[in-house]
Amino acid sequence: MAYNSLLYLFIFLPVVLLAYQLAPKNFRYKVLLSASYVFFLSFSGKLLVYLLFSTLSIHHIGLWLTSCKKDFLSASHAPENKKAEKAAYEAKRRRILWLGIGLQLSILLILKYSGFLFENFNLVLKAISFPRLLPAMKFALPIGISFYTLQAISYLIDVYYEKIEADDNLGRLALYLAFFPTLLEGPICRYSQTAEALCQGKPLEYKNVTYGLQRMIWGLFKKLVIADRLNLLVETIFDTPNHYGGIIVIAGAVLYTFQLYADFSGCIDMTIGTGEMFGVTIPENFRQPFFSKTASEFWRRWHITLGAWLKDYIFYPISLTKFVKNLGKRSRAKFGKHFGQILSSSVALFGVWILNGLWHGTGWNYIFFGMYYFVLILIGNLLEPAVERITSSLRIDRTNSLYRGFQTVKLLIIVFTGELFFRANNLTAGMNMFRSIFTGFHWSAVTDGSLLKLGLTLPDFIAVFFGFIAVYTVGVIHERGISIRERIAGWNVFARWSFLYVAILLVIVLGAYGDGYLPAKLIYAGF
Amino acid sequence: MEQLLEILNDINPSLDYETETKLIDGGLLDSFSILSLIPELEDAFGIEITPIDMVPANFNSTQAMWDMIHRLKEE
Repeated sequence: MAYNSLLYLFIFLPVVLLAYQLAPKNFRYKVLLSASYVFFLSFSGKLLVYLLFSTLSIHHIGLWLTSCKKDFLSASHAPENKKAEKAAYEAKRRRILWLGIGLQLSILLILKYSGFLFENFNLVLKAISFPRLLPAMKFALPIGISFYTLQAISYLIDVYYEKIEADDNLGRLALYLAFFPTLLEGPICRYSQTAEALCQGKPLEYKNVTYGLQRMIWGLFKKLVIADRLNLLVETIFDTPNHYGGIIVIAGAVLYTFQLYADFSGCIDMTIGTGEMFGVTIPENFRQPFFSKTASEFWRRWHITLGAWLKDYIFYPISLTKFVKNLGKRSRAKFGKHFGQILSSSVALFGVWILNGLWHGTGWNYIFFGMYYFVLILIGNLLEPAVERITSSLRIDRTNSLYRGFQTVKLLIIVFTGELFFRANNLTAGMNMFRSIFTGFHWSAVTDGSLLKLGLTLPDFIAVFFGFIAVYTVGVIHERGISIRERIAGWNVFARWSFLYVAILLVIVLGAYGDGYLPAKLIYAGF
Repeated sequence: MEQLLEILNDINPSLDYETETKLIDGGLLDSFSILSLIPELEDAFGIEITPIDMVPANFNSTQAMWDMIHRLKEE
């Protein structure tokens, strides 16, 4: 029951909206929670037990952290013992936090990563001719585990740092982890962003429902017109990589990148739109990423909630450890302020990018993908003063359109190359495909009709091109800070509804579905 | 406050630290700039900044940073 399925759009969501509206205010969040568990069960059945375990464990540990604090504050401390007692109290809270994080991570590690670890461990055992190998392990993954585990950990850390209070309402916490629009592909919400709104029981409002509907139609447009239509071509190129080289592989990398963006951001549009209908503001996950100037800016605009999570819970905590601070002091003294700081922060940056790669999946190509961005961002930071010096000595205005164009081309090459390895079936296939760009390069592929032999016809390409122009235009308008929906809201009723009908018609006419098409599974739901 | 402004100008001289109130939320200071700033603040004011202090509200303006420095000095 994916967000773009007829069952979700025409039965599940309308029924939940109706039940929510008819329910008494205090009961509405229970409707959302029941709907979320039904949604979860439709994908993962009895694996619901893992989600329930995460929910119960963070509920208990959050309250334990709070009671630990209350006990410490209410106890009397003799002045001579106060320091030691405070240290013991802080150590106890740290142990409780690590227990909570450990429980969440151990489920994720066992279910998602044990197969990969055992497989690679067996390769080592084989290499040293060890007589026995570890058994092959493969567990069924509950839907959304990579997303809700990060939400669970952020909740525990935020309670530990007293950014939020531990929630004694188990239902609210359960809904925060399992709210059905966010289950499949996130975004990764913080407790402080959604929990309260989810339980406030706000009645449905005309503005929220129409805004939500508009956002969902826009998401469907991206998904059906671009992502699903491109799927056949992308699958053909990446599943038989040895058959292609040169321009075809470049086209595969470029079109896969657009497919991924249309699929993921389209799904997030549907998620945010659904949330909006219930009066819940779900955080944005994209901000026109292809308008970025550098790789690090791209990652501040692409999958924003994952980047923010890694920054807050990995990058800063590692950067502020005594070890890294001391390393920073020593390296700044030895290599100067700029290079010294970069060297010490590279420890935390490495942690962020190895986890970013591993979070996406268990292949070596994902680890390569993470390391690829780690190296590029590190080089970008190291070279920044040199670039500044060169451009100012050559009197190059870094804000002019020519320089911006150069930055955009450079960024697109970086992103397309990264996505080639990301989508490749494995690292070896990715390496071979990358090599074949140069070894199998023939301009004739553009003119001899090779691109039209990959499963898509000329009308398919025209529909995708139209979709691309629409996404680009909306991006430019948003980049200028203009809210398209606010503009539409200012139109008269006739114009507003005509626009909505035309948008639905465009999705129906230009969307790829039915016989002859291979709809793309929601790509990020697989992570 | 002047010492703080001096440190900030050293990190990125192109920003108007006296009036800007969205240094983080507006994307003017990125995480790398913040990490360059922390050891400077710790050394200059004898404080220790921990992960709990790493929230945009503490770094969005010079005044917010100044308030955080004072709070950490008192702790």
